[in-house]
Amino acid sequence: MSKTFDDIVKQLVDMGGVVEELKASEVYVRVPRDRLRNFARFLYESGAYFKTCVGVDERQLNNMFAVYYIFGLDELGKDVVLRALAPEDDAWVDSITSEVPAADWCELEFRDLVGIEPRNRLVRRLVLPEDWPDGVYPLRKEFKYDMRPPVGAFREELAEETGIPVGPYHPALHEPEYFELYVEGEKIVDVAYRGFHVHRGIEKLAESPRFTYKQVPFLAERICGICGFVHSTCYLMALEKAAGIEVPERAEFIRSIVLEVERLHSHLLWLGVAAHLLGYDAGFMHAWRIRERVMVLAEYLTGSRKTYGINIIGGVRKDIDLDKIDKTMRTMASLKEEFSKLTEVMLSVPQVKSRASGTGILSKSEARALSVVGPVARASGLYRDIRKDYPYLAYKRVSFKVPLYTEGDNLARLLVRVDEVYESIEIIKQLIDALPGGSISVEEYEIPVGRKAVAAIEAPRGEDVHFIITGVGRPYRWRVRAPTYQNIPALRAMLRGTPLADAPLTIASIDPCFSCTDRVVVYDMRSGRRSSIRITRGG
Amino acid sequence: MVKLSIAKILQIALKAGRVTRKYPSEQPLLTPEFRGAIRIDPTKCWGCGACVRVCPPNALTLTPKDKVATLEYFVGRCIFCGMCAEVCPANAITVTKEFELSSTSIEDLKSGVVHRLVRCSSCGELIWTEAELRATVKSSPISEEYITLCPKCRKLKFGKAAMLGRGGSSE
Ligand code: SF4
Ligand code: SF4
Repeated sequence: MSKTFDDIVKQLVDMGGVVEELKASEVYVRVPRDRLRNFARFLYESGAYFKTCVGVDERQLNNMFAVYYIFGLDELGKDVVLRALAPEDDAWVDSITSEVPAADWCELEFRDLVGIEPRNRLVRRLVLPEDWPDGVYPLRKEFKYDMRPPVGAFREELAEETGIPVGPYHPALHEPEYFELYVEGEKIVDVAYRGFHVHRGIEKLAESPRFTYKQVPFLAERICGICGFVHSTCYLMALEKAAGIEVPERAEFIRSIVLEVERLHSHLLWLGVAAHLLGYDAGFMHAWRIRERVMVLAEYLTGSRKTYGINIIGGVRKDIDLDKIDKTMRTMASLKEEFSKLTEVMLSVPQVKSRASGTGILSKSEARALSVVGPVARASGLYRDIRKDYPYLAYKRVSFKVPLYTEGDNLARLLVRVDEVYESIEIIKQLIDALPGGSISVEEYEIPVGRKAVAAIEAPRGEDVHFIITGVGRPYRWRVRAPTYQNIPALRAMLRGTPLADAPLTIASIDPCFSCTDRVVVYDMRSGRRSSIRITRGG
Repeated sequence: MVKLSIAKILQIALKAGRVTRKYPSEQPLLTPEFRGAIRIDPTKCWGCGACVRVCPPNALTLTPKDKVATLEYFVGRCIFCGMCAEVCPANAITVTKEFELSSTSIEDLKSGVVHRLVRCSSCGELIWTEAELRATVKSSPISEEYITLCPKCRKLKFGKAAMLGRGGSSE
């Protein structure tokens, strides 16, 4: 990309956009709602990635519904936010999915939750269940957070054939997900996905009178059972950016250290799961044994193995003293040694290599079109890492490599994570070495109403994006886009045309984590027979 | 090749030894920083409600009923964040290392402190807890005639006094 940020903003203005707010890290441009796709095409062609889109009920502010399309200019480290308005009685915007396929889900989401219709595209329900009444939109302001609308009768069209009961969908380490694989014999010809079974309405809860700014970090931390700290940090980064709160450097370092500790335990967990899926249980157990050291360290640093609870507005609650520094350094040293021994063995097992290499391929162009994130992107040759592209917290103060592979297969995704474990260990060491003095949180702060900000963090699974509009005492709107949201649509590309036996590993390779009872439905196109396989089936 | 990797993993396993603890006969692994359930000291608590307002999952509630207000701690909702202990002005809350909390009865998961409420000496409305009143008297120079009034009556009285040119004591 040769264009500068100014060029891009200028061109958006030439196209008819109005700059509403220009900050150092992001620009808000209002665009006509019927020409959204032109702006989106221009940004995509200028090298921007699509982050997410957000529907907001702004009727209390300006009598309109608003949609925000957030694009990231990775190479410049800046965000461009397109904002389009739609009146209540004629609530629609132009869809951008023809230009940006990655916007598929988030458009359906604001259609479901806010009731803004994306035009010129196929629509279906995505987030709301089938029995949810029509015309009831949970994210509209008149909808009370604890309201339970009467649900209508619902009948699912079952296929002619007697199906084998599928499920139960068990929340494993993460969230229940449900795939339908259409096969011809052993070959997968198509994939359908149904998710959002556990949509908990966290965004709604945060803007309800039940919560305050101060309490939301604890709620945010519970979005994910593995990378919860990412979410509380990302919420706070967005909030602090919106309110102009300067976080002390020491707090930034502590947050970064804990974020890397979280990445370590997450990658080790995944590595164990991957080994297990490949039928290599010795690898699984040793990966988790090593991981336990990281869990204990996390508890020592924060007070809890998971959901650390140390993030507060303007800093952190727990300092790192000399004992903790010492323990961290010792843990990192032994971790590195044990991890290198384990991965050496693991990768020398011929079955691991042969099952993982060449399977579940995601090409670079598909990865680009779907704006995939994290290890999935880096395994398909996309050089994307939020820590490098949009340096936040203390990451500008450390040097590390971004592992890059071009094969795009399961092995590449595995190797990216293995390499990242080493990088994380080095990052933690550097951060501890350079830990500055000073306080760990600000004493006083104010949060003005009506400010907006976008924040992003490189979570273990990829880029996590939070968008916030400040309100009175609590967020007016808070939007969370977790990394898996961006990566699941890529599974279709990875699975199509591949043998059925590789499906469990491929699905797991984006790291959504399934429990042993989660199943996929297999649909044989030739016989029309329906059956289910256990996702952990080793092969 | 396979044999080699088995030999290698055996080496790793032998070196690691047994890592699983025989809990509960063996002590669980807890670091000094571990946060468990909280304990409220009823002799210290004022019933001010600061902990209730900060508690993210509503594990703490303060419910006035008749002449008493009950501060209830429901450990089933607690996320062990320790925020309540941080804000408590009376230092009544300690974060313990207690984590063996399961029970077959939900009532076992609840504990509480009951506070008697004081009425406004002028209008008779229930205003605050006895304990908080005592604590306020101790910590700030507020005169006897004002302390038992609800904020409304206090304002009224203060206004009248100010008009007569004999202002009340500081609040
Ligand atoms: S005194 Fe402490 S424990 Fe008692 S209600 Fe107030 S904050 Fe809670
Ligand atoms: S520890 Fe946290 S969740 Fe538990 S009662 Fe205190 S504030 Fe509430």
